[in-house]
Amino acid sequence: MIPPADAGGTDYSMKITGTQEIKAPRERIYAALTDPLILQRCIPGCESLEETIPHNYIATMKAGIGPVKGIFKGSVHLEDMQPPEHYRMIVDGKGGPGFVKGVGNFKLEEKVGATVVNYEGELQVGGVIASVGQRMIEAAAKMLAAQFFKGLEAEIKSPPDPLQR
Amino acid sequence: MTKYVGQRVKRTEDPRLIKGLAHYVDDIGLPGTLHVAFVRSMYAHAKINGIDTTEAFKAPGVVAVYSGKDIATKVGPVPCAAALPDLKVPDYRVLATNKALFVGHPIAAIVATDKYAARDAVDLIFVDYEELPAVVDVEAAANGGTIIHESFGDNVAYKLTSGEGDIDAAMKAADKIVSQKMVHQRLAPIAMEPRGVLARYFPGEEELTVWSSTQIPHLLRTQLALMIGIPENKLRVITPEVGGGFGSKLNVYAEEALLGWISIQLGKPVKWIESRRENVQATIHGRAQVGTVEVGVKNDGAITGLRYNVVADLGAYHQLLTPAIPTLTGLMLSGAYKIPAIQMNVTGVFTNKMSTDAYRGAGRPEATYVVERVMDVIARELNLDPIEVRRKNFPKADEFPFHTATGLDYDSGDYDGALNKALDLSGYQSLREEQKKARDNGKLIGIGVSSYVEICALGPSQAMPAGGWESATVRIEPTGKVTVLTGASPHGQGQETSFAQIAADELGVDLNDVTVIHGDTGIVQYGIGTFGSRATAVGGTAVLIAIQKLKEKASKIAAHMMQCEASSLSFEDGCYTKKEAAAASVTGKSEPVVPVGEGPAGALNDVPTPTNGRHKLTIQEIALAAHVAKEIPPDTEPGLSATYFFEPKNFTFPFGTHVCVVEIDKETGETKIVKYVAVDDCGKVINPLLVDGQVHGGIVQAIGQALYEEVVYDEQGQLVTGELMDYALPKASQMPWFETDRTETPSPVNPLGVKGVGEAGTIGATPAVVNAVVDALSAYGVTHIDMPIRPEKIWKLIR
Repeated sequence: MIPPADAGGTDYSMKITGTQEIKAPRERIYAALTDPLILQRCIPGCESLEETIPHNYIATMKAGIGPVKGIFKGSVHLEDMQPPEHYRMIVDGKGGPGFVKGVGNFKLEEKVGATVVNYEGELQVGGVIASVGQRMIEAAAKMLAAQFFKGLEAEIKSPPDPLQR
Repeated sequence: MTKYVGQRVKRTEDPRLIKGLAHYVDDIGLPGTLHVAFVRSMYAHAKINGIDTTEAFKAPGVVAVYSGKDIATKVGPVPCAAALPDLKVPDYRVLATNKALFVGHPIAAIVATDKYAARDAVDLIFVDYEELPAVVDVEAAANGGTIIHESFGDNVAYKLTSGEGDIDAAMKAADKIVSQKMVHQRLAPIAMEPRGVLARYFPGEEELTVWSSTQIPHLLRTQLALMIGIPENKLRVITPEVGGGFGSKLNVYAEEALLGWISIQLGKPVKWIESRRENVQATIHGRAQVGTVEVGVKNDGAITGLRYNVVADLGAYHQLLTPAIPTLTGLMLSGAYKIPAIQMNVTGVFTNKMSTDAYRGAGRPEATYVVERVMDVIARELNLDPIEVRRKNFPKADEFPFHTATGLDYDSGDYDGALNKALDLSGYQSLREEQKKARDNGKLIGIGVSSYVEICALGPSQAMPAGGWESATVRIEPTGKVTVLTGASPHGQGQETSFAQIAADELGVDLNDVTVIHGDTGIVQYGIGTFGSRATAVGGTAVLIAIQKLKEKASKIAAHMMQCEASSLSFEDGCYTKKEAAAASVTGKSEPVVPVGEGPAGALNDVPTPTNGRHKLTIQEIALAAHVAKEIPPDTEPGLSATYFFEPKNFTFPFGTHVCVVEIDKETGETKIVKYVAVDDCGKVINPLLVDGQVHGGIVQAIGQALYEEVVYDEQGQLVTGELMDYALPKASQMPWFETDRTETPSPVNPLGVKGVGEAGTIGATPAVVNAVVDALSAYGVTHIDMPIRPEKIWKLIR
């Protein structure tokens, strides 16, 4: 019963999964989730989100985890789009406190009077975020997701504002 | 004559430290100082395609920004002093040029009017990185995959085989081969004061002064002169108060050269104080070996041979001594035992991590851990008492000097004596009985023993990369105060006190009349510095011999003043006194003591002097006379000072036995040390209080390695333990009461008889703790467990 020697190289990548139920039709939610203007308003700390070519965006986001705060710039790319059921999001951002890279799969399921959004993803961080904030990232990501969906729900419930369009 | 030596004299350094009146680098303020902050790589391995500094330049307060390409050819590479056959030495530029090779690798330096402006501008520098696969696992890196330094063809920096004796024959002669793989995890030294540099260039005088928190002011001066290209006699390195080093400041760092160079460019003082995050990222790490030990044993426990195959994780570059550290492991593999044949096969491997280098013990803790851990594995395999296996293989006290199959000659020792004392002091036999009872009651109690030897007083120059001697100048000022200038560079060890003790006793003066000065190349003669438990054994000896030289001169002057032969004087309590008989004979003669060939002495003799007719003179009076120079012999230089450079003929070999008792909480897996006994033999002791302090601190760091500390890089080479929230330093509340005692076997290597004690605790204690934990878990069939033994590891094992 000798425990195996651990020479380092431990896998510390983070898996983020969650489920959110929103009272709205699936098509409406799918459209909102892929609409840059709605996303910009809903993503916490998002300062800009510009579509460069279809389904590719450049984003600037102010984010912080505990003592690590900063502005991140990066790209968001959507692929494997199967409206209104599924899409994959690939994020790649850099900023003063380090970098964030991630892949997330979003699956939308119909339910009576509502839609269930299932998301699961993997996140890799580097720089100060990794050395200081790694332990807090899962909790922080959950919090950001909750804020995001809350905003999304509000967007969907309120009638579209023509001035914003 | 030992009023002070051997006494528990309180450290004269402490009042200023306790009251916050000491001056560290950051306490030194110069008008107009600019502040430097570094952009450091966020990737473990990445190509740098470009660096955009435009935004940073525009930021308020920013004065200058330098990137690797700006200075690539202007500042020489970070030096490596280790010379090994066929060693691959990468070009280690002070700022990364084309590639970043570890998280924390400096890429650009920002100079601003205050430290906040400099730090804020770091976020405005945009580095275009192209991420490359990170080389993290040291064993995998040795066998191929991504190559860090492409021109080398692989990641192997060197391969070395060391040891003596016919290892194959020794293994064949054994009844049994015992083997164990062990991991010596990467540790961060974490000195309380991080690194810090202040550099000031005077363009008129063309003189550069660098204040740095270092252990080696003179070696740093030489290396910085070469790196920056300034004449060494125009460069002064000052080491003010240093808040600990543990080997991490036995180095020459990129930042030290950069600050000096930037100060020359701007003609202004520049300062950088390392943050704790930078300290964990970019100050050297220690240990980081993965190895397998094989030992041939006879059925009675006698060892026939030992082989250690090890891969050493060097990090991305060589710092000053990086590749040499594992070779120290090879030297110490005989431990406290007679082992006829020893072989170490070491492979030094580059990885995308910070360099490893000397951390308290520097290669020796690994050796002691291997040997002391495997002694317990042998005992288990052969069903013998671990104490008996150790005794079986000890050299006896009359076998010294003892030659090891690692090529060393141990100076002196009585290993049985220290072991017996430790067993007595801990009540070993009754501990074993208590353990049995406790086990019957379902408690997990473990007892661990470690009988270590270490190699100290580094060392003879033949065995050192850049001189192994140490220097001292002792002078008595006209007012009788004593100044000791030592080339050692104490940074917490207390040599301002212990060297003053040596000087005060030798000169018969009050301790408070002695001042020990160190760490300023503008004042102190060239020295080597403080590391490898060398300062007292080598530097203290230099002080002693310099005083003896000074006294030779003083006695000549005294004899001249008292008109007698120097041989007819006795020295006691700071006074030269005419011996009775000699005094009588001298009064009968009228001839002055003047060597043949000197000028007419008669004239001098006719002048009445205040000392005429005196039979007793204090050394202070002689010092004054030496400076006034009216009453000194004609063949004698005025002044009263002497300098000595002491070259030791051998290392010294302190030893001891530590006994550790642990209790493990079955519910949580937490290890609690319930008893700790340390019996150390560091030869003669100058100050037992300082020795206790060194032993205590060393054991704490050893317990840290055994139970808590580990620098963790993830699969991408990201540093996960980047600050003290995650890097688990031991806390006072986790420490047991230390029962310390000593045996005293003087070293024949130096006239003080001292051996050194700075690293004994870290070297001796780690295996005692791990042996105790394994002993506690033996009921679960555990024969080995890798460090750090965190509660979760044990908890998983006993589920």
